[in-house]
Amino acid sequence: MDIGEKDKSELENRNENSINYETPVLPSDWQFGGANLTSSGTSVVPCSNPLAIGSSCASASMADSFDSNLWEHPSNSQNLGFCGINVQNGAISSNAMDTGKGTLTSLRGSIDRTFDMGWNAASSALKGRFFLPNTTGILPQSLSQFPVDSTFIEGAVRFSSFNEGSFSDMVSPFGMPESTALYSRGMGLMPGPEDMFAVNGRKSVSGVESQKSKLNVTEATRDACLQVENRAKESPLENERKSESLVRAKQEAKHGIGGSGNESDEAVFSGHDVGQEEPSTFNGTGGEPSAKGLSLKKRKRGLQDAEVDQAKGGRPPTEAAGDGAENQQKGDQKQTTFINMTAGKQGSPASHPPKEEYIHVRARRGQATNSHSLAERVRREKISERMKFLQDLVPGCSKVTGKAVMLDEIINYVQSLQRQVEFLSMKLAMVNPRLDFNIEGLLAKDLVQSRTCPSSTLGFSPDLSVNYPSLRPSQPGLVQAALPVMGNNDDVIHRSLTSHLTSMIGGLKEPNQLSNAWEDELHNVAQMNYEIGAPSNSLNHTLPLFRRLKYRHTLSPPYIYLAQGSLTVLSVKDQVKTYSVTMWRCGTPFERGNVLVS
Amino acid sequence: MPLSSLKPKMRPHSSLKQEFLKKWIMGLQRCSFSKKNMSILERKKAIKFSADIAMASARNGTTCWSRSLISNASKEGSDIHVVEQILGSESDRPAVENKVPTRRASVCKKIVKRSCRIRRRRRRRKCVASAPSSIAKHLVRKRREVLKSLIPGGEFMNEICLIEETLDYITSLRVQVDVMRSLASASVRASE
Repeated sequence: MDIGEKDKSELENRNENSINYETPVLPSDWQFGGANLTSSGTSVVPCSNPLAIGSSCASASMADSFDSNLWEHPSNSQNLGFCGINVQNGAISSNAMDTGKGTLTSLRGSIDRTFDMGWNAASSALKGRFFLPNTTGILPQSLSQFPVDSTFIEGAVRFSSFNEGSFSDMVSPFGMPESTALYSRGMGLMPGPEDMFAVNGRKSVSGVESQKSKLNVTEATRDACLQVENRAKESPLENERKSESLVRAKQEAKHGIGGSGNESDEAVFSGHDVGQEEPSTFNGTGGEPSAKGLSLKKRKRGLQDAEVDQAKGGRPPTEAAGDGAENQQKGDQKQTTFINMTAGKQGSPASHPPKEEYIHVRARRGQATNSHSLAERVRREKISERMKFLQDLVPGCSKVTGKAVMLDEIINYVQSLQRQVEFLSMKLAMVNPRLDFNIEGLLAKDLVQSRTCPSSTLGFSPDLSVNYPSLRPSQPGLVQAALPVMGNNDDVIHRSLTSHLTSMIGGLKEPNQLSNAWEDELHNVAQMNYEIGAPSNSLNHTLPLFRRLKYRHTLSPPYIYLAQGSLTVLSVKDQVKTYSVTMWRCGTPFERGNVLVS
Repeated sequence: MPLSSLKPKMRPHSSLKQEFLKKWIMGLQRCSFSKKNMSILERKKAIKFSADIAMASARNGTTCWSRSLISNASKEGSDIHVVEQILGSESDRPAVENKVPTRRASVCKKIVKRSCRIRRRRRRRKCVASAPSSIAKHLVRKRREVLKSLIPGGEFMNEICLIEETLDYITSLRVQVDVMRSLASASVRASE
C-alpha cells in the first residue's frame, strides 16, 4: 500500500500517471487483442504508441509501436503515456464507441487524434528522450503468426518478458532503437525509463494492460496476456490507483480531446475493468470469444446509431458501457464493459460492412444494463427528441416541461387548428354560393405572395394562440363589454357569449354530440332573450353554457382558443338557426360570419 | 418517417401552400361540377373535404395520417370521385388502396379496444395507485389517447410515430388554415 501510494505521489508529481498503473492490465487485453488480431486481420492495429501522435498514427505500425512502447516502458508511460496513453485510451475508447465495426482501425484513428491533442501537452519536454526497448531476439514464436509490425512484436515480446522477469530486467533493454523508428513517425518522447521504472512496478503494468485493453484488441500474445493477467490480479490496490489514474487520465484527455475525452475516460474505465476482470469488455469486430459473448448480449444496432452515439459522446464521463452482469460478478468497480462499440456508419473497414438493423446502446453508469431497460431508454430518448421539435412548433410551449403538459398543449393546439379549418370552410361556403373561386382574381391580390392580409385575419391565428392563455381571466370583462356594443334590438338577440366560437363549430362538426346540447342551450338563450329581461339574466345562462361546452373537448384546464364571439340570431327557418357571429378581439369585432346550427 | 425530413417542413413555405391550393381548387371544381345548388352546409362540407384531401395528398403518402385520411375518405362512395380527381393528378393511387388493410386493422383494433374497455371496467374497482410516477403516467396516457383520437389514423401508431405524425399534421393544418384564411379574406374583399 505504501509503495503504491508513494508511486502515486511520484506519478502525480510527474503529472501524468495513468499509464503506469495501466501497464499490468495490458496483457490481459492482449489476449483479446490477439484474438481480434487474428480475426480481423492486419487492418486493425491498435495504436500502441502514445508517442505516435503524428499524422501517421493511423497506420497499424503506429499502433504496434505504441503497444510495444507501452509494454517495453512501463515507466516510460509516465511521461509518454499520460498525455499519450491516457489520451490514447480515451481516444481508443471513444473510437471504439463511435465506430463499432472495425473498431480497431477506428481506435487507432482516435488514438492518433488523441495523441495529437494530448500529446501537445506533454510532448515538448519529453521529445528528446524517446526510448524503446529493442529486444528483437525475444520474439515469441506465437507472435509470428500475427501479421503485425515488427515493432509491435518486439513490444509484445518485451512485455511478456517483462512479466516474466523483474522490472529491473526490463529497464535495460529499454532503449532507443525502436523508438527511433517510432519516433520518426512522430512518436513522442519518453522519460528515462529508469526513473519511472522503479516507481511503476506493477502499476505500470496495470496501466499498460488497461491501455492495451483499449488499444490492442488485435495484438496480444496469449502468453503475455496470461502473464500480465496474473500480475494484474495481484494487486487490488491497483484498482484504486487505476481509478485515480483514470481520473487523471480523464483530465488529461479532457484537455486534449474535449468531448471525445469523455468517451475515452469511459473507455479507460472500462478498460480497467476489462483488465481487471475478464477481458470481456472490448467489443471489437473480431471479438474475443468471451468478450463477444458479453457484448453481443446488448447489441442493438439501428439507424439511429450515429445519433445515439453522438448523443452519448457528449455525456459526462460517468457513462460506461456495461455488461453489468459480468462486471458485477467480477469486480467491485462500477464501471461496466462496453456494450456496443460498433456503429455501422463510421469508419468501418471494408471487411465489416455496417449492419443497420441494430441500435447501439450503452448503459449509463449505475443503471441497469438489462436489454429491456436499454431499449426503454432509447425509446424514451427518441420520444423526448421529437417532443422538442413539437415544442418549437406549438406556440407557447417553450417554457413547458413535462410530457403531460406538453401533450395537453399539443392537443389543444391541434384542436384549435381543426376548428379553425371548420370555421374557415364555413366562412368560405358563406361567401361563395356556388363554390367557384375565381382564383385568378383572388390571386391577383395577395393570396400567395404576401401573407399580409388584412390585419384582422392575420391577427387571427397568432392572437388566438397568444390570447388563449389570457382569455380566461378576461372573459367576464369582455362579456360585459360586448353586450352594450351590440345594441338592442327586439328582433335580434344579442348575446355575448364567452365561449368558444369553435365550440359552435365543433357542434357543427359533431352534430350528434354537441349540437343537441348547443341547440338546447341556444333555445334557452333565445327564449330568454325574447323576454324583456335584463341581459345579465341571459348572461348568467350563457355562462353555464359556456362552462358546459368548454369542458367537452378538453381534458382538464380548458383553454380558449378563440376570442369571444357574440351570437346574434338572424333568422330561424326550417329548424335551422342562423346566427351571426362576430369574433371579438379586445372589444372590437374583427371577424364576422354566419353560423348555421341545424 | 425520418425525423430529419420533418425539420425543413417546420415552416410552411409557399410551394406547399401553392400545391395545396391547386389541389383544393381542383377538388372544389369537381364537387361543384357534380352537384348544383348545394346548401351551405353541403358546401362547407365539400370545402373542408376537398381541403383535407388536398392536404393529405400533398404528402404523397409519406405520412400515416395522410394515408388514413385518404383511405377514410375513399370509403364513402359519394365523394370518391373527388378523391380520385385530386389524387389522380399525382401517382398517388397506392394510398387509396390502403383502405382495405386499414379497415381490417381498424376492426381488429376495435375488438381489442372493446376487450380493453371491459377489462378496464373491472380494473376500476381496484384502487388507483397513488405514487406520483403512476399518476403522471396515467395523465400522460390519457392525453396520448386524446391525441390519438385527434390525429387521423392515430390509433394505429405507437408513441414515437404518433409524435412524428402530430408534427407533420400540425404543419399541414397550419398551411391549410393560412391558405383558407387568405382565400376567405380575398373573397370577402372581392365581394365587397
